[in-house]
Amino acid sequence: MTDPVIIFDLLLAAAVVALAVASLSVRDLFVAIVLFITFGLLSALSWVRLAAPDVALAEAAIGTGVTGALLLKTLRHLRYVSGTLDRAEALSVTPAAPVPAPVIWANAAFCGLVTLGLAVAFLGAPRSGPGFDALVAEAMPASGVDHPVTAVLLNFRAYDTLMEVVVLLAAVIAVWQIERGLSDAPAPVLGAVWEGFARLTLPAIVVVGTYLLWKGAEAPGGAFQGGAVLAAVGLLLLLSRLYVPQPSHRGVARWAFVLGTGAFAGVALLVAGGGRVAFEYPPEHAKTLILLIEGLVTISIAVTLAALFHGREPVALRSDRGRA
Amino acid sequence: MTLDPMILALFAPLFGAVAAFVLPRAAGAVGLVAVLLTCGAVLALARQVLAAGAVTLELGGWAPPMGIALRADGLGVAMLAMTAAVGLLVSVGALDALREARQRQYFWPLWLLLLTGMNGVYLGTDIFNLYVMIEVIALAAVGLTVLSGTREAVRAGLEYMYASILGALLFLMGVGFVYLQLGRLDFAGLIAAEPSAALSAALALMIVGLLLKTALFPLHFWLPAAHANATAPASALLSGLVVKAALYIFLRLTTHVPLPDEILVTLIGALGAGAVLWGGVQALRAERLKLLVAWSTVVQIGLIFIAFARAGQVGLAESWKAAALLILAHGVAKAAMFLAAGRIRDEVGHDIIRDLDRAPIRPTLAQFTFALAAISLIGLPPSLGFIGKWSLMEGAMAAGYWHWVAVTMIGTLLSVAYFSRVLAGFLRFDRVRAPLGEHQGWALADIAPLTLAISAISLGLLAAPILSFIELGYPFGAKP
Amino acid sequence: MMFGTMPQLTPDLIYGVAGIAVFAIGLVGALCTQDRLRRVLALKLCSVGAGFLLVVAAWRGPPAAPDPVPHALVITGIVVMVSATAVALALIRRLQTLETEDDT
Repeated sequence: MTDPVIIFDLLLAAAVVALAVASLSVRDLFVAIVLFITFGLLSALSWVRLAAPDVALAEAAIGTGVTGALLLKTLRHLRYVSGTLDRAEALSVTPAAPVPAPVIWANAAFCGLVTLGLAVAFLGAPRSGPGFDALVAEAMPASGVDHPVTAVLLNFRAYDTLMEVVVLLAAVIAVWQIERGLSDAPAPVLGAVWEGFARLTLPAIVVVGTYLLWKGAEAPGGAFQGGAVLAAVGLLLLLSRLYVPQPSHRGVARWAFVLGTGAFAGVALLVAGGGRVAFEYPPEHAKTLILLIEGLVTISIAVTLAALFHGREPVALRSDRGRA
Repeated sequence: MTLDPMILALFAPLFGAVAAFVLPRAAGAVGLVAVLLTCGAVLALARQVLAAGAVTLELGGWAPPMGIALRADGLGVAMLAMTAAVGLLVSVGALDALREARQRQYFWPLWLLLLTGMNGVYLGTDIFNLYVMIEVIALAAVGLTVLSGTREAVRAGLEYMYASILGALLFLMGVGFVYLQLGRLDFAGLIAAEPSAALSAALALMIVGLLLKTALFPLHFWLPAAHANATAPASALLSGLVVKAALYIFLRLTTHVPLPDEILVTLIGALGAGAVLWGGVQALRAERLKLLVAWSTVVQIGLIFIAFARAGQVGLAESWKAAALLILAHGVAKAAMFLAAGRIRDEVGHDIIRDLDRAPIRPTLAQFTFALAAISLIGLPPSLGFIGKWSLMEGAMAAGYWHWVAVTMIGTLLSVAYFSRVLAGFLRFDRVRAPLGEHQGWALADIAPLTLAISAISLGLLAAPILSFIELGYPFGAKP
Repeated sequence: MMFGTMPQLTPDLIYGVAGIAVFAIGLVGALCTQDRLRRVLALKLCSVGAGFLLVVAAWRGPPAAPDPVPHALVITGIVVMVSATAVALALIRRLQTLETEDDT
């Protein structure tokens, strides 16, 4: 109990938990989402305290920023559809049917049981037990990059990361499949002040995103954080109506979605041979290949996240109205 | 460039999905080629495993636990083969069954991503990698669920999505605890681990997540609506293949880290019994054909868990074989049955069970297919379902667990009852008001389900080679 | 660690308990809430809770550097979760549109 920062940790942890409770219990959904965004940012801060700046960046940019934008957009859509857009009243968008008491008790028992299991497992586990530390340190020189997290993501466990990019691809395909047509809901637009702000900041955001990507090789940052920051550019373009998706853009968009997956998987296959297996980059080219993959994956992530925010395949509305 | 069959089994569907997405007009052709390539890869892999036992590939040249290795053994390859074969036939069926251009355009990339994810699960040896894989499967599967675009399908898809995310997150939490406990995430680490309370808690979390994903009673609430409202090829894939991925991970985990307590094994068996009874009653009450088939999936999942628990904790070393046989049998038969149900619905125009015998059109070939699949699901000889059920009961009897035998018997009677509701309708003609149609309702699209149904029956004759194949490479790392 | 004795307060313990609490809150929300959007929010809380656990598990106590592998895993988990969230939200929007069209 010597470290005064512990007090800060305690307060921060308490705030995180309190915000989690608040965001689920507050009546107004808009307030709930704002509380959730605050919660996400404070979680990211806690992860900085735990020496995980990469994770904190990813959580702040993707887990909180993009997710928050998605939630707000959906809330707006729901309010528009249910005709409560102009009213400030608390929105209950779902017709709530009463839940039978036995189900509630069963759920409560289930939650209690799981939480008990969690507590037992956490308190019974060794503090700072064994890990991959030594293995990673040993393998770092052959990885082609200087930053351990990037080495793990793009080299040691590149297979996981490829599949993560595939998940993103699956998401955008599913979203396009679910919703189509040009939205008849008025897109959330920025006010004049914000629009000016958007025009001013766009170049700066591009620079920051690219820098994050480039830095990923030796310092915290990388494809996912950079991609998310660049996706913010897409969000601002969509919000400020500087860019409006058109049906004719779909072809290019499809290629942009698959670019990351294709390049990642393609490189993984092409390096195999001469005694090497898939994903085994030749050490002398490792850095180049990793930067190439990261660059292309970043573009894909940025476009995909922006498309997930836009949320529907831009096709001319014709058959859609009648079919529903 | 040398191409390992394991890599091909993963990358052929992946590149297929990419190509099918960017070339929507050629999606069908691209998809079929990708599935055929996958089948070829699985055949090559099966030959390797037959010759040399389990094969391993360390991706990137990094050895586990830091890196990720792929491993193919008898059980894994059997699952891959079932997935590829059923997938190929469902694909052929989908060429005809999906009429709308939009459905065709999205079916192929989603299904190929699904195939990538499932192949990844069957080859995976790293529990975090398995988490990512089940998420690939989940997103693609939800996309397929809502392919028909109806309100019921979207509602069911959303429930499925909630269940899927929650299941995956419980699994991920378990992965976190395994890391906390062991500092590694590969199967070898789990096998070598000392049993402890914390590790058991971690395992329990992962198992609960998997049970939610595989829809074991009472966590099955999302399944009937999701499987009943999807389009026929999607239902066949979801019911025949997708639930098996989580089931397979469950089998692997529980054998690597044996359940610590006899009570837990009994509990899992009891949940299976609950599924058999509850699902059976619901299937008896179902008004629509596809809903009945979906409830029968709940029953069959329960049966697989009874097979797992058939001989208690001491019998686990053998019981997985009975469970695996039932998994394979259900995959083939259920895919056939859903495709046939879809065909019947296409021809008759509805799938209300009560009115099936009033229809002037009799899609006889689809009805025959349905009956064959029902024979395997009920467990009549010589089907693969029969062999699975028989080995379940044999093991239970040998261990003296008569209650499992009794539940299986009751379940069999129930399944005879609810399938008879359908089959009786096929055979009655006295209620047809209009003259029977000239149109027999046969189409090229009947070939795929019929082939599947005939395989479900005839694979029973190959039960002995299948059994010896799934034991190749000591699937669970325990050399005798 | 023993139950009963006052454990030494370290960041990993504090945030680990906080993470488990967040996961449990999310679990209750996911199972007991009716509102569709709020259930997505609850699931996202669960995923942050799981992230806390992995980040805590990677922590080694200064001056030792943390284990980078769990960090990479959490980043993967975050991207996976945003994908799942986007699909769930698209379903919610579509469903609301379909339900409103049917009512009118």
